[in-house]
Amino acid sequence: MGYFVNAKQANEVLSALREKYAVYAPKRFPKQGRYSDTDIIRYAEVSCVEEIEFKEKSDYPAKEVISPVQQAIFYFTEDEYRASKGPKKPILIFARPCDISAQHIQDKIFMGNGGYEDLYYKRVREMVKFVLMECPGGDDTCFCVSMGTNKTDDYCMAVRAVDGGLKVQVTDSGFDSYFQGAQASDFTPKFVEENQLTVTPPAMEDLNDPEIRQKLHQHPMWKEFDKRCISCGSCTVACSTCTCFTTRDVIYGDNPEVGERRRVTASCQIAGFDQMAGQREFRATAGDRMRYKVLHKYHDYKAQFGDSHMCVGCGRCTHRCPELISISATVNKMNAAVAEIKAGLGK
Amino acid sequence: MNHDINIKQLRLNCFRQSKVPGEFMLQMRVPGGMVDAKYLSAVQHIAQTWGDGNFHFGTRQTFDITGIKYDDIPAVNEYLEAYIKEVDAGLCAVNMDQVAHEPAPWDPKSGYPTIGARNITACVGNYHCICGNCNTFELARKIEPIIFPSHYHIKINIAGCPNDCNKAHLCDFGIIGVAKMEYHPEHCIGCGACARACEHGATRVLSLNENTGKIEKDPCCCVGCGECVRACPTSAWTRSEKKFYRVILGGRTGRQTPRTGKMFLNWASEEVILAVLGNWQKFSAWVMNYKPEYLHGGHLIDRAGYKKFKEIILDGVELNPECLVAEDIFWHETEYRSNFNVKPMELHHKAGPEA
Repeated sequence: MGYFVNAKQANEVLSALREKYAVYAPKRFPKQGRYSDTDIIRYAEVSCVEEIEFKEKSDYPAKEVISPVQQAIFYFTEDEYRASKGPKKPILIFARPCDISAQHIQDKIFMGNGGYEDLYYKRVREMVKFVLMECPGGDDTCFCVSMGTNKTDDYCMAVRAVDGGLKVQVTDSGFDSYFQGAQASDFTPKFVEENQLTVTPPAMEDLNDPEIRQKLHQHPMWKEFDKRCISCGSCTVACSTCTCFTTRDVIYGDNPEVGERRRVTASCQIAGFDQMAGQREFRATAGDRMRYKVLHKYHDYKAQFGDSHMCVGCGRCTHRCPELISISATVNKMNAAVAEIKAGLGK
Repeated sequence: MNHDINIKQLRLNCFRQSKVPGEFMLQMRVPGGMVDAKYLSAVQHIAQTWGDGNFHFGTRQTFDITGIKYDDIPAVNEYLEAYIKEVDAGLCAVNMDQVAHEPAPWDPKSGYPTIGARNITACVGNYHCICGNCNTFELARKIEPIIFPSHYHIKINIAGCPNDCNKAHLCDFGIIGVAKMEYHPEHCIGCGACARACEHGATRVLSLNENTGKIEKDPCCCVGCGECVRACPTSAWTRSEKKFYRVILGGRTGRQTPRTGKMFLNWASEEVILAVLGNWQKFSAWVMNYKPEYLHGGHLIDRAGYKKFKEIILDGVELNPECLVAEDIFWHETEYRSNFNVKPMELHHKAGPEA
């Protein structure tokens, strides 16, 4: 069913939903941006519709709701421990198609990787339903169409912000009851069909070729990032598909017998991520780390899981990079490098 | 060439004497160093019509036009009417019919009425700069009507951040935009980028506690630059929404006793900055027995002594709760001549109203 609700009705629906659900959406935090008098948009619980940022893409991805940058996984006292508790309420997340597609990739890594299901992820994920935010077109860093993530059917409701209220499509009939008395409207969400950017990653068969891959690993294109990239990890924190984390034991006060183990977001771009005993690092330079990330997003994940690349083209890594490194430009450079390598090898 | 020109009067009118007798350089005020680029055509017109065709970026961010003949000054002043009205009276809401807050009708065809309060300079600030913590020229435009027109001298430099590219440390009243940082530990991944940035570019007040994976801060030595915010990949550090300022007092250059300024106020609100500057005319008048002399502002503080300065300049000012004030200031001057200040009593300057 489709509905139109004015602002007042929309807030009444939201209030009713919040009795049962924790509702998360992109929310603007004024003047909390990286630079003075700039804002940040990140996921947070919202209490009114006006708090939801419909127009601009969030700086940080929806994944933070399900796998926050920091979470307690268990608490310990001497020789006992207790797992932390999962969410008390089911969760509704307002998300764009790319964000929902990204969550499917997260699902594979947390719940379909090596035959192991991550308890802490799963117990939240099972409680989540998505409210599709019709994407008004994204920005000049987006390339969802190239990555095939511009469409989704994984949502219980879809919304479009219009003058004076919201148009809503309810696909999970359990939610129709929230709209009793609302004006009917034959709304179905539109999906972005074209981005300003088109990104074509190198062909899998080229990167699967060990000779080409080895030459690409050694290609001078990555050296550029030794000087440009500051290894801050902003790209991976903002990435809607990155999942890496580390664990950290925190001791309460001065008693080492009591504390908690936390899961904390980690980044392959930050020096020390792959440091081994003996202080050895596999990828000691910013260029090495960039190569690792880029190949992971545009080859390694697909080689392992098959169906799609890991990158969904949300463009947040480009958007958040303080050094203005563009992922789409980097893919283009990689394409040029692969073409050059193939020509050199006579392939 | 025979000239009979009152050069001191022309200086008050913002025309500076040239080494070529009878020629002058116009100094056009640009409060905060930022105006609509359309005024460059006015600069070009003046330079090509009455000047020698060149123009110089004044060291205090004025548009300086050289080679203006004495006889052309009335025509230049008449042409300046639109610029002064739009920039000073319009953009900055200056009351041109006052001097030092006293009524003094201004003839719009007569050019600038005073030179005492110098052009307020500013870096580009957070309007553009990734380091800036405040909008510098908007602050300059709020200060301009408080200090101008006035024959009392004051040089104000505004820097958007503690990097102080605009040399707030080298003027009478230097204002530096500072930010109070807020830490959101729930967003912190313990990467240590902020601590490294602080060590590399600021005062080393942050450290990563390896036991908690969180950042600890020595807040007393934080200069409020915002490097931690810029470095953080997760926005675990943010600037407080409220803007704060540091005031560096009594810096100067010069032939006698150049010195860098010292901190007078820290974490002052904009309201406090404006209220303090509102007392500048009163302080200057008191020191000089209510008769403006051509004397630089920093020397007035020397004559009165810092404690007297503090008493008058903070009179009626309601300090914001965060604001800290220097109890005393001990400047360190470059004395080109040893024991420069030791001299016969009759050469000592006097301060305050005559009995």
